[in-house]
Amino acid sequence: MNREYSCKILKRDMLTSDTAYLTIECADIANRAVPGQFVNVSCSRFLKRPFGIASVDTSAGTFNIGIKVVGAGSSELASIEEGSIVNVLGPLGNGFDLSASDSFILVSGGTGVFPINFAYETLRSKGKNVTMVQGFRDKSQVCLTSDEYIVTTDAGDYGIKGTCIAGLDTLKIEGNTTVCCVGPVPMMKAVGNWASGKGLKCYISMEQRMACGIGICLVCVCKKKAEEEGIPFEHVRCCKDGPVFEFGEVIL
Amino acid sequence: MSRLGVKVGSVSLKSPLILASGTCNFGHELSEYYDLSILGGLSSKGLTIRPRAGNEGVRVAETYAGMLNSVGLQNPGVDYFIEHDLDYMRSLNTGVIVNVAGHSYDDYMEMIRKLEPHKDKIDALEINLSCPNVKAGCMSIGSDPDQVFEVVSGMRSLTGLPLWIKLTPNVTDIKSVAYSAQKAGADAVVLINTMLGMVIDIRTKRPVLHNNTGGYSGPAIKPVAVRMVAECSKALSIPIIGCGGIMDYKDVIEFMIAGASAVEIGTASLIHPTCPVDITEDLEKYCEENNIDISSLTGTLQLW
Repeated sequence: MNREYSCKILKRDMLTSDTAYLTIECADIANRAVPGQFVNVSCSRFLKRPFGIASVDTSAGTFNIGIKVVGAGSSELASIEEGSIVNVLGPLGNGFDLSASDSFILVSGGTGVFPINFAYETLRSKGKNVTMVQGFRDKSQVCLTSDEYIVTTDAGDYGIKGTCIAGLDTLKIEGNTTVCCVGPVPMMKAVGNWASGKGLKCYISMEQRMACGIGICLVCVCKKKAEEEGIPFEHVRCCKDGPVFEFGEVIL
Repeated sequence: MSRLGVKVGSVSLKSPLILASGTCNFGHELSEYYDLSILGGLSSKGLTIRPRAGNEGVRVAETYAGMLNSVGLQNPGVDYFIEHDLDYMRSLNTGVIVNVAGHSYDDYMEMIRKLEPHKDKIDALEINLSCPNVKAGCMSIGSDPDQVFEVVSGMRSLTGLPLWIKLTPNVTDIKSVAYSAQKAGADAVVLINTMLGMVIDIRTKRPVLHNNTGGYSGPAIKPVAVRMVAECSKALSIPIIGCGGIMDYKDVIEFMIAGASAVEIGTASLIHPTCPVDITEDLEKYCEENNIDISSLTGTLQLW
């Protein structure tokens, strides 16, 4: 059975001026989570807030989430005191198919850096060949990075100037490769089209205003191409049917 | 029977707790969290004759003590439900309530004709005359006592299944609407569906919801629901099912004192999916400590 957990915030680090990185204690979630999944976390607001799982430490029984301040809920959670208790539902949703190939290109934009980080760590531990491409607005937003990664910034004050596509264009594609991309919709669209142009399978992760996170309220839908003819589209739930979809499966 | 057993007219439920339509889908997802057989029943997602994609764009807005939704009756259609979900709901070993929505008188009649052959699998039909998020039918029918009488009478002539009429609070006089339902042969009324509301993004000067308005639910609306249950309890002879902002066992007791025979839990499931487990335990404890059966609370309100 799934359940709601009361979890302690063990550690809070600030990655940028407006982005926190929390280490949360919950062995069950750490053991069960796969990259691409998310958790729904309580704050003093009415609804929980969804965050992609950024990393797990199964030996310590902890997992991490990254929180960029966008509103009252994220602001509260980004400044939460270590030792505080939050209620957490998770791991939720469907993750990436990391058995799809032996070679992966991971692409993140903005806060997509967090779920993509978990995918990177998991793929590396499986000994797969992984190339990481991170896109940020400018240098002040750069986090969870490494010298081994290709980094692009819109402002051009760090790494390659331009979008993720500028980074992807530097790559030489060999063999059977899968692309996983998390970021703003225009960016996922561009990366998906880039991957299609190279004949590569591409997974994306959808984000919508969410309530329950477990598939019962139907508020966080996105449009999927309908299987039946004559119907323009059908709505699928980001939380339960996604958040990970294959590029082309949902209408962006 | 345990202390939590209740009757809603001819329908016996093992607990007063029913999961409200639109907050439990058809039970599949919540079954991953707890054994739904502890419940008195489960009310299906609102069904229509044809599948509905629901409203586009942002469908949820949050407030301090609740949320607005504008899902717009997204559902797979009643035929798909009968084929894929009805047997599953029956297998959950709890009351099966099928929520029926429509855009016109004829829609409601056709829905009854489609469900009637499956009456052995259904404990009650909950008639949604109250969804605020669709352009025709539902709330526009449910806010007019004459149309309520007409639709409920029509359905009454087509089925012997218990008809529970879910009413909208967006009316001046809930008693007259509820009384129309009773006069037309309803077996119970469900009070209340969501309240029509709007939340505006002050930066864009546009409503958060792309449907502009939505149905407000959660603890914020509970006093309105309790008041309406209390008012109708005096005016009606048929049972009332209370619904609106229940978060814990005390809220259940409050609704029952006001006059409810059973209650529906809705938005609370979106916040704490397993809350009915806690509420059940707390109600059992309450009944034990006070040495009562829960049903004895119904309508014990003492007005000043």
